[in-house]
Amino acid sequence: MKFVEKIMQKFGAPFQKNGPLEKLYPLYEAIDTFVLTPGKVTRKAPHVRDSVDLKRMMVFVIIALVPATVMGIYNTGYQMLLAQQAAPDLMACLRLGAGKVLPIIAVSYAVGGFWEVLFAVVRKHEINEGLLVTGLLFPLVLPPTIPLWMVAVGISFGVVMGKELFGGTGYNVFNPALLARACLFFAYPSQMSGAKVWVAVDGYTRATPLGVVSQAAHGVDPVQALAGAGYTFQDLFWGLRPGSIGETSTFACILGLVFLLITRVANWKIVLSCVAGTFTMATIFSLFNGPNQPAYFALPVYWHYVLGGFAFGAVFMATDPVSAPATRLGHWIYGFMIGAITVIVRVANPAYPEGMMLAILFMNVFASSIDYTVMMSHIGSRNKRNRALSSVK
Amino acid sequence: MAQYNIKQGRNIKIKGSAEKRVVAAALPKLVALVCEDLRGWLPKVLVAPGAVVKAGTPVVMDKNNEAIKLVAPVSGTVRAVNRGEKRALTNIVIEPDNSDAAEKFTRYQFSDLPGLSRAAVVTQLLAGGLWPCLRQRPFSRLADPALVPKAIFVHAMNTEPLAADVDFVLEGREKDFQAGLDIIRKLSPGQTHLCIDSRARSAALTGAAGVELQRFSGAHPAGNVSTHIHCVDPVNKGEVVWYIEAQDVLRVAALFLRGVHSAERMVAVTGEGARERVYFKTVSGAPVASLLAGSNLAGQRCISGSILAGRNVGPEGFLGFYDSQVTVLPEGGKRELFGWMMPGFNKYTFTSTYMSAFLPRTENTLDTDTHGALRAIVWPALYDDYVALDLMTFFLVRAIIVGDIEEMISLGILECDEEDFALCSFACPSKVDVGGYIRQGLDLVEAEG
Repeated sequence: MKFVEKIMQKFGAPFQKNGPLEKLYPLYEAIDTFVLTPGKVTRKAPHVRDSVDLKRMMVFVIIALVPATVMGIYNTGYQMLLAQQAAPDLMACLRLGAGKVLPIIAVSYAVGGFWEVLFAVVRKHEINEGLLVTGLLFPLVLPPTIPLWMVAVGISFGVVMGKELFGGTGYNVFNPALLARACLFFAYPSQMSGAKVWVAVDGYTRATPLGVVSQAAHGVDPVQALAGAGYTFQDLFWGLRPGSIGETSTFACILGLVFLLITRVANWKIVLSCVAGTFTMATIFSLFNGPNQPAYFALPVYWHYVLGGFAFGAVFMATDPVSAPATRLGHWIYGFMIGAITVIVRVANPAYPEGMMLAILFMNVFASSIDYTVMMSHIGSRNKRNRALSSVK
Repeated sequence: MAQYNIKQGRNIKIKGSAEKRVVAAALPKLVALVCEDLRGWLPKVLVAPGAVVKAGTPVVMDKNNEAIKLVAPVSGTVRAVNRGEKRALTNIVIEPDNSDAAEKFTRYQFSDLPGLSRAAVVTQLLAGGLWPCLRQRPFSRLADPALVPKAIFVHAMNTEPLAADVDFVLEGREKDFQAGLDIIRKLSPGQTHLCIDSRARSAALTGAAGVELQRFSGAHPAGNVSTHIHCVDPVNKGEVVWYIEAQDVLRVAALFLRGVHSAERMVAVTGEGARERVYFKTVSGAPVASLLAGSNLAGQRCISGSILAGRNVGPEGFLGFYDSQVTVLPEGGKRELFGWMMPGFNKYTFTSTYMSAFLPRTENTLDTDTHGALRAIVWPALYDDYVALDLMTFFLVRAIIVGDIEEMISLGILECDEEDFALCSFACPSKVDVGGYIRQGLDLVEAEG
C-alpha cells in the first residue's frame, strides 16, 4: 500500500496548494480516493463510522446495472442480425451490439464527467459519485440508433440543468438521467420515438411492442395484435425485442433488483408499490373495457410489467433516493402513483405509448409535496401524542 | 410499571466488553473536576493553583446562579486550572493528599429521609456540590433550581456500545440506592421514573419503592434518556423534566447519610486496546491512564464514555463528569487500495454491502476511520431507522440547516440530544454528522429562547 501511496503522492504534487494544477484539485481528489480509501479519522463522537460510503453504494448500483447493460448489448446486436435476416450467433450479437452501445456509454461518461469536473472545480467541492450512475443510466434508456452528438446534448442537459443548477448530487429535484432523456424526447422526437429508431439497421422499421398495442384498432385483442407482430410474452420478459438499450429485458432488471435488495441499496417499498399501482390502475381500466375502447384497455395486467421501460424504471429510476420522497409513507404513495400514472399515460393517452419516464418525472415534481403533507400530518399527530402522554395537562 | 419495546435502532457489535468483576483502583496521583461536560452555565473559578482544598470545598460556581457550585472531589492541592478554546474552562486538576479531610454537610438518618422537605433537599444538593448531577430537558443543561420539573427520570440502563451495566454496578447497593431515590423524588411534585433494562435482576432496581418502574427493551438507543422521556412523559414546549444517572443517586445518598461529598464511581474499562477490561471502583474525574495500566496506548484513542457519545480525552485525559465508561479504540486512517470494490470480510457495516454482513460474527473490530468522505445527504430516509424518538430526522436536520426555529420545535427538537442521533451519523453513507446538526439546532433554539 505504501508503494501506491507514494505514487499517488507524487502524482498529486502539482494539484496541491500553490501547485500549477491547484485548480484541478477536485479531479485529483476523485482519482486519489478511487485508488485508495480516504484514510481520514473521526474527530469527535461518534468515533466510529459504518464502512459503507457513497462510492460503494453507487458502485453497487452500477453492478446491478450490469445484467441490463449486457443484455442490452446482446439484444441490440440480435435485433440488427434479425433485421438483416442473418443467424443471431451469440458472439456476433455481442460484437455488433457493443459496437453500437459502448460509444454511447463512452460519450455519456465523458461529457457528463466533463461537466461534473467543471462544476466541482469552479465550486471547489469534491466530485460526487452520483455521476457514475447517471452516466450509465442515461445510455440505457436511449434507442441504439441515437446519434452520438445527441447523447452529448442530452447528458449535458441532464447534468447541468437537472443536477448542478440545484447544487449537485443530493440537491436535485429530478432524476438527471430521466430529465436528459425527456429533453431529447421532446427536442428530437423523430430520433427518440416512432418505429424507425429501435433497430440499428438503416431504413429498417419495426414497431416496439408498446407501439403495436397503442396502434391496434379499437376492440382488437392486444395480445393477438402483439402475437401478430411477432412478440410473445417470453420475448418481452427475456428482452428480445426492439426498445431502448437497457430497458428491454425484464429478467435483467429483476436480476439487478435482487442484487440491490440483498445489499439493501434499493428501497423495496418503492418497487413494490410501483407494481401495485400498475396493477390497480390496469385493473380499473380493464373494468371499463368495451368494443369502442382502445385496445390498450384489454391488455392483461401482467403484460404492463414487461412492456416498455416499466421494469427498468421501477428498479433503477424510481428508487433514486434523492429525487424520491424522504418519508416512509411518502415512498408508498410515490411508488404507487408512478405505477398508476404509467398505466394512465399508456392507456388513456395515445400520443405517448410509453408512460414510465413521464410518470417518474411527474412524481419527482410531487415528491416534496408528498413529503410536506406527510410531515404536516406527522407534526399534528406527534403534538397530539405528546400532549396526551404528558403528565401536565 | 410499564414495559416499552423499542423497535428502531441497532446495536454495534464491537469487541472488548468489560468482564463483570470489580477491581478497587488505588487513589490516583491526580484527580480532575471535569467542567467541559456541563452545559448551560457560566463558570467562575474560585480557587487558584496551590490552594489547599478538602473534599467538598467549592472550587467553581455558576455566574448565572451563584448557588450552583462544583466542589473538589477529593482533598488535596489544586495543581492547575485548564482552559481550552476561547478560554472555556475544561478542568481543574487536584493532587490528592490521601487524607480524609472533608467539608461537613448536614447528616440525616435513614428514618429522616421520607420527611425531608423539597427545600432541604435542594439546599443540601447545592451546598454539597451534587447539583450538577441533575440535568434538565430540553437542552440537556444543568437543572435550574428555580424551576420545578414535571417529572424526574433516573437513568438506570445504558445501551451504548460496551457500556457499564447499571444492573451489575448497583448489585448489593439497594439500601443506598433506595435512600437516594427517596431524596431525589422530593424534587418534583410529579412522578419519579426509574428507567431500567427489562432484563435487570438486581434488587436495587427491581425492588425500588416510591418510584415508577419503567422497563425498556430493544437495541440502542433504547437506553437513552431521551427515549425514556419520550415514551413515558414527553417534554412539550414550556415543560421541564430533570434526569440523573443511577450512580449519581448513590452519591446523593452518601451526601445525605454520611454528610460528605462522595466522588465514588464505578467505571467499566472497555475496548480491544484496554488490557484489563473490568469494572474499576475509582473516583469521578480519575485520569483514564490510572485505569489503563499495562495497556499499550500507541495508536489507540482513549475515550471517556462510549464510541458513540464519548469524548476523546487522550491518554493524559480524565474521566468525564457524567461518564462511567472508558473505551480504548484503535485509531484508523490506513489507506486501502480500491476499498470501494473489495469484498471486505472485516468491514463492519449496518448495510449488506460487505461480505462481513453475511458472516455470523458477533464481535467485530472497529476503528476511528471514517471509511469515506463527506457528501451531500442522499439517503434521507435512512436516519429514522436508527432514532427511537417519533420524529422525522431528515426534516429536522433540514429545518436546522435553514435556521427555522419554529419548524425545529414543531418537529420535536426539544426532546432531542445529540447522542440520540449518533447511530444516524454512524450509518450515513454520506458521513454527515447528524448529531452535530442537532446540537447546533438546540443551541440556536436555546439562545433565541
